[in-house]
Amino acid sequence: MIDLRIGVFVCCCGINIGAYVDVPAVVEYAKTLPGVVYAEENIYACSNDGLNKIKEAIKKHKLNRVVVASCTPRTHEPLFQAALEEAGVNKYLFEMANIRDQCSWVHMKEPKKATEKAKDLIRMAVAKTTLLEPGDEPEIEIKPSTLVIGGGVSGMRAALSLADQGFDVIIVEREPQLGGKMRNFDSLFPHQQKASEILESLLQKIQTNPRIRVMTGGKIKSVFGFLGNFTIDVETRTGTESLNVGTIIVAVGADILKPKGLYLYGEDKRVITQSELEEILRAGSVDANRIVMIQCVGSRSAERPYCSRICCNEAVKNAINLTQQDKEVYILYRDLQAYGITYSRLEQEAKRNGVRFLKYQQEKPPKVTAETDGLKINLYSPTVNEDVELKADLLVLSTPLIPVTDAKELSQMLKVPLDRNGFFMEAHVKLRPLDFATDGIYVCGTAHSPKDVGESVTQALGVASRAAIPMAKKRVRTAAIMSEVDQTRCSGCGTCIDVCAYNAIRKNEKGLAETIAAICKGCGVCGATCPEKAITMHHFTDEQIEAQGLAALMEE
Amino acid sequence: MSVFEPNLVGFLCNWCSYAGADLAGVSRIQYPTNLRVIKVMCSGRIEPSMVLELLEAGADGVMVTGCHIGDCHYISGNLHTKRKYALLQRLLAKTGLEPQRIKLEWNSAAEGQRFADLVREFTDQVRVIGPNPIKAPNPEQRILLNIRAAKEAADGFRLRALVGKEEKLTTEGNVYGEKVAQEDFNEVMEQAVETEFQIHRIQLMLRERPRSVKEIAKKLGLDTRLILTYMVALRQRGWVDIRDAVEGTPLYAAQ
Amino acid sequence: MIECFRHPNITIHTQSEISKFEGSVEDFDVKILKYPRSVDEKKCTGCGLCSDKCPVKNPSVFQAELETRKAIYIAFPQAVPQVATIDREICLWFTNSECRICEKICPMKAVDFEQKPKELKLNVSSVILATGFELYNPKEIGEYGYGRYKNVLTSLEFERLVCASGPTGGVLNRLSDGHIAKNIAFVQCVGSRTHTKGYPYCSASCCMYATKEAVLIREHEPSSHVSIFYIDLRTFGKGYQGFVDLAKSHWGVKYIRGRPGEIREDPLTKNLIIHYEDTEKGRVERLEAEVVVLCTAAIPHRDNKKLAQILGTRLDEFGFFDVIDPILNPVETNIKGIYVCGSCHGPRDIPESIAEAGAAAAKAAVDTIRLTVEVKS
Repeated sequence: MIDLRIGVFVCCCGINIGAYVDVPAVVEYAKTLPGVVYAEENIYACSNDGLNKIKEAIKKHKLNRVVVASCTPRTHEPLFQAALEEAGVNKYLFEMANIRDQCSWVHMKEPKKATEKAKDLIRMAVAKTTLLEPGDEPEIEIKPSTLVIGGGVSGMRAALSLADQGFDVIIVEREPQLGGKMRNFDSLFPHQQKASEILESLLQKIQTNPRIRVMTGGKIKSVFGFLGNFTIDVETRTGTESLNVGTIIVAVGADILKPKGLYLYGEDKRVITQSELEEILRAGSVDANRIVMIQCVGSRSAERPYCSRICCNEAVKNAINLTQQDKEVYILYRDLQAYGITYSRLEQEAKRNGVRFLKYQQEKPPKVTAETDGLKINLYSPTVNEDVELKADLLVLSTPLIPVTDAKELSQMLKVPLDRNGFFMEAHVKLRPLDFATDGIYVCGTAHSPKDVGESVTQALGVASRAAIPMAKKRVRTAAIMSEVDQTRCSGCGTCIDVCAYNAIRKNEKGLAETIAAICKGCGVCGATCPEKAITMHHFTDEQIEAQGLAALMEE
Repeated sequence: MSVFEPNLVGFLCNWCSYAGADLAGVSRIQYPTNLRVIKVMCSGRIEPSMVLELLEAGADGVMVTGCHIGDCHYISGNLHTKRKYALLQRLLAKTGLEPQRIKLEWNSAAEGQRFADLVREFTDQVRVIGPNPIKAPNPEQRILLNIRAAKEAADGFRLRALVGKEEKLTTEGNVYGEKVAQEDFNEVMEQAVETEFQIHRIQLMLRERPRSVKEIAKKLGLDTRLILTYMVALRQRGWVDIRDAVEGTPLYAAQ
Repeated sequence: MIECFRHPNITIHTQSEISKFEGSVEDFDVKILKYPRSVDEKKCTGCGLCSDKCPVKNPSVFQAELETRKAIYIAFPQAVPQVATIDREICLWFTNSECRICEKICPMKAVDFEQKPKELKLNVSSVILATGFELYNPKEIGEYGYGRYKNVLTSLEFERLVCASGPTGGVLNRLSDGHIAKNIAFVQCVGSRTHTKGYPYCSASCCMYATKEAVLIREHEPSSHVSIFYIDLRTFGKGYQGFVDLAKSHWGVKYIRGRPGEIREDPLTKNLIIHYEDTEKGRVERLEAEVVVLCTAAIPHRDNKKLAQILGTRLDEFGFFDVIDPILNPVETNIKGIYVCGSCHGPRDIPESIAEAGAAAAKAAVDTIRLTVEVKS
């Protein structure tokens, strides 16, 4: 029986916890828990000062286990674990109590109950901590190669950057050729560069790069593995090939909404989308003198509660083009998204060129009626507080980017989430915009959310740097959270093998089950299944879970 | 008179439901304070006996949450959660405890509001049915026996093997590739649950003291011939044996 | 900040700037001038005793000058490194050869009045500029009363007031009388999107941070009223529109489309009267608020000119760093091997800045790899 010396550190997180939970009382309570020899309060446990205090306390009070009661472990657990290791304590002898995201922040009107709950959560964490064991992390090799799913501008740019950094890249593109949506564009803002020229230069670089392999007409059939060692089956015209890479980048782009049923689209030939206008402009000029554009068609609505970022600027860019051809252009908008310096300039250029901007309100959208000599558009203009009527030869609808049709299927194969609007969901919206929560898989470009070409390229370069991190390190340690089969209790029934999704448990020479540590993800399904109860789930053992549960129900 | 505040325990999977609960926090969505959360890596880690043990310890309600079907971070973990939860429901029904004391929900990392709503719903749901009868000052011995038996049955080889193989047998098939129809499987499972439940009830009673078949039949309200078949099964497993005879009636005792 | 500090491959030089710059990509010779903090970084433990005893005060830049700090001070509670600095412009020893209490009191004997500026020489393969931005001072917009009316604040000042580690510990005590403000108005585009006093461009993040502040107020104080005066609601980022929808429907934040013409102070209550045209209703109205927050333009850092001269990098007409190709090379300047990320080349939000940081790192990494390959052969 080891001598338990648990230290409990309760964070105030400024006022985030401190204003709702009685932290001093919680600290005093923690001191009474079995196994706890030290407890203290910290204003920001995650700060350099806070971490130093923890390390000092470990040394001074000879702590051999630590509980930190603060925010969600999903934010700072690695930071605290690193501090523990620096102070000589194995990082698995650590547990967190979430007294912020799942306590103070959600019980702001009930501070007394929040305090009681915080005490309970700490009691539960301490109960588990008394049963924790040190963990040994297996090392995995990282293959220095990347699969880029999607051969649009983002995928190509990411591939080039990775190849420059010395890694091998395979681009799998669904269509028969690379280029993505760029192939449909005419000119790009802000400087009206020709999309085709830019695409050509990228394609040239891709084709001549010895490190990049392109598979067009390819469809992802299955994905197995984990960071450093993914196996992906790709089906092309010639058959199915199995690829083996270290990292995966999702750059599948987005589709453009065709607004059937809105503003006579699909019913009247004179109503087109912004991208259809691009095609026409690419081929030549447009056969219309008066053009009206409507923004936010099918976006910033209940059905699609997001702004598609680029449509205002695309409309403005096209409007400038049209006014230079002596056309009359009206843009009907709700909020013009001409953000930053470049787009503010573009907006001003449009105004100088005579493009007319008319605001409309979401509750009172424009009404379009077809007449023989043109389209009649009626809208209420809040600026002049009057109903306005416009006549147009051509009505251009600015529609949002929407997730690609196979996004759901791909997300399920990769085991990565989609957000509420169907775009790929990153690990953290601010601090990890290019990572997925799953190690080794990253996202960039419009697959993440609508953005322009320059922003997509920025993300593509950014994602190349993210993927390069594990590949440059060559070896990475994986968590010690994994299963272990008691060879004396296993009866060789093989049920664990049936339920393991990773083939991480196999039968050894004796016909008994054995875990392959490097592949095991620690989910616990085998442990929950084993009929003989022969499998221990390290760091989430039956006893630890039981201890937490019983501690939850204990009266103080 | 104070309102009954349920003591609830929730198992949340790290990748979806725990993140969803965090999102509720980040969004400052308020919800009742009754739930105590235990984080696991996957909802598939949860065994029926874990839930039953908490109910035995006095929890008024236990919730299990995981990723939506098709979105499990560990690919198929939640499919097994679903199977195990169905078994848990069968066992709970045997105990006499209200079925509303347990809940299985899928909640994604993007569903903060939904998580808050789930907690509110579950709290209201359990508040209505009242405190766990086990916590009463003089709890019904029958319920205590039942829940213990259910827990031990859930930990036993037979039910674990059955539920462990269910997903594969009903979707992929056995080693010969023969798929088992879900209704057929349900029939087998129903019978197995009944048998294991009764067998464990008997074993628990015998652990207290040796008893006769007649006594057990009376206590459990079951036919003596049925008890006898269970007793044979118990003997085969080596769990009980005949101890004595009292006035010609054999007494069975736990081994 | 802490991850950087603890990373074995990262060395942090604070109080430093580039004084000389020569060479080309993969082989830049950089001279760095490190200003003396008059405290030995290796000895100081950040205990703060020196600040406690120091007799001299000065407005704290970190607290948006709403609070003072001492001549010897640590910038803020989470500062990295957690080491004190002496402001030689107000320190009694440096100005008047008096005092030196901090030196006597310091338990680690870390104070060093003799510290001189140091020159460091580095040879690097690439440079990443991440010098950030500043905020426009709205004093020149006389009609908004900033600088005259105590309860008209900039957004940064407001941010400090609501922050737990701020001068009021997060309580919204307004500056004129300490009264806890419940009725607050935000004015967007102050010094942005204008051809008179200010800059013609949009500062990208203000609509969203005003919404964030508004929601913060509403959740802290259920009886509060918050209004945001805007021209175009810039909700272009991921999750932004959803957040604004929530602010409107769930938190009851009022959005008024109209640029206030004038803000006047009630001489008795010190409340502000905002005169504006509600362009959606087409009426001229007035709103009374206890505190007005001006969301000011994000402007180039004042040191950009000097730095650009030393490095040879181009600035745009406003003074932000310029990139050569915003489409295919969005983080590279006109000098090969010098990259930019974040607000130093124009206003942008955090996710964009983080993506750019990764992009700049990817470009810089290639420069080092080429070097390694050449050295090998």
